[in-house]
Amino acid sequence: MTPGRGGRALVRSHVVTGGRATPSRNTLDHITLITATKDDVAGLEPEKRRLVRLCRGGWLSVAEAASHLDLPISVTKVLLADLVDSGHITATAPAAPAGVPPRQLLKDVLDGLRALL
Amino acid sequence: MLTRSTATELWGLSAVLLVVLLVLLVRQRHVTTVQRRRIRSAERDVSLRDEELENLLGNRLPAEVDRAGGADVEVPAARHPELRSTRFGELCEALVVMVGASEAGAHQRSSDEAKETVRGMAAAVQSLAAEQQVAVSGMQAKHNDPAVLEGLLRIDHANSQLGRRAQVLAVLCGAWPGTQRSASELSDVVRGAVSRIRDYLRIEVRVDLPVAVVDTHVEPVVLAVAELLDNAARSSQTGTLVRVHAELGHNGVSVIIDDAGVGMTSEQVGRAAKLVSGREPVDIRRLGNPPQTGFAVCGVLVAKYGFQVSVDTNSPYGGVRAVVFVPNTLLVKAEVSAPVPKTRVRDAPGTSTPANGTTPNGLPMRRRHVPPPASTPVPEVSPASRQEVPQSAERTASAIRSWQRASAAVATERPLAGNLGDQPTEDRQP
Repeated sequence: MTPGRGGRALVRSHVVTGGRATPSRNTLDHITLITATKDDVAGLEPEKRRLVRLCRGGWLSVAEAASHLDLPISVTKVLLADLVDSGHITATAPAAPAGVPPRQLLKDVLDGLRALL
Repeated sequence: MLTRSTATELWGLSAVLLVVLLVLLVRQRHVTTVQRRRIRSAERDVSLRDEELENLLGNRLPAEVDRAGGADVEVPAARHPELRSTRFGELCEALVVMVGASEAGAHQRSSDEAKETVRGMAAAVQSLAAEQQVAVSGMQAKHNDPAVLEGLLRIDHANSQLGRRAQVLAVLCGAWPGTQRSASELSDVVRGAVSRIRDYLRIEVRVDLPVAVVDTHVEPVVLAVAELLDNAARSSQTGTLVRVHAELGHNGVSVIIDDAGVGMTSEQVGRAAKLVSGREPVDIRRLGNPPQTGFAVCGVLVAKYGFQVSVDTNSPYGGVRAVVFVPNTLLVKAEVSAPVPKTRVRDAPGTSTPANGTTPNGLPMRRRHVPPPASTPVPEVSPASRQEVPQSAERTASAIRSWQRASAAVATERPLAGNLGDQPTEDRQP
């Protein structure tokens, strides 16, 4: 992969996605977890190949995959949707949001504790 | 007696006079003949010189001016070669040489000035295009809406072409391509070139070689390949593909571009081969309108950066085959391209591991609860309905329960944080 993609990447997004902006499925979110299900990457474009290699052996969120490939998330989603369609990758719903309590609740608890002491 | 001798003397004198007269007449005749001949010769000389002057003004000097200006014309020879050895002939030749030199100098100066101006303009456009590219990339990273992305892709495409055009102008005017990149894989180099042309969807790239182009030569090769691809796409019908593949040879790598277009006549091939050879100086004022820059810019890049371009063979599809040969000296081995994340990959959802490391203070780190296996496929929900899900009562209740469990596990080992207000509260919000 060309290092230092950033703002002036050599291969532009329209070539990466073949001019498409809309993923073939709308099930992918920033935190959707993905993992590779096929090792065979023959016939895939370089970015898709890198995505499949990246996802071998574990689960990764869409946002993380995009960051590792230095691609915009929206572009990564188009590629991932294709890979899900072709059976190279499987996606699963993200883990439920962790139970971080609302700030007000914590404050109330703190007030209660202080009142007790 | 006297009379007789006098008469004799008179006769003698007359005879002498006659002889003298005869001699004089003969001499006069000779002188006249010589003079006549001289006059005739002088008249012929004058008319020859007139003709030669006419030839000089009417044919030779205009041709010399054109030739000095860079046109491919032959300066006609003197009409009367016999004058060449004369002073007149020498002066004529000197005049031709002087006019040629003066015209070439003026041409060079005006060309240099024009190039200087155009180079400045091109650099300004290039930097604006680069600025816009960074802005577009920033927006692509920021916005998640496919409709916005679609617009951005179009802007990026147009901007890439704009940047390439400015780059071509700059290079033709003697500037460098204007961007320094790090060593890039050949496939990225070719696809970078594809990014910069109008009909990028018609280009089929099959380049999969483990070689990369050295940093200083990435942009020049990208630009040359982009120009050849643009030529190929423009000279073939919209329904056809332009195929690109690469072949590894002993001395380097060839990037081969085949189109199924109209091809070139032998005259065009000759001209193109001359241009891409890099041995012809390029005059930006002779590129025509619309400007035919593709081969010219390839020639400039070839001369400066040491790769080769050839366009003199036919493609198997009836069009033109263009080959960019990059020698080994400009290549490095490509790095293994699989990106390996440093923070490796979480466990599959639902499998929780108890040990989760410690904080710098040696305390066990808190781990968020992971719900039971979410092996069910992702429900097909629209973005609008997805937003409502976390707000449902059930979700909230589950979140509170999980927080309670997690805090119960930690409470025995860790004192309650002194200032809860400092804790991040929305680190996991999508």
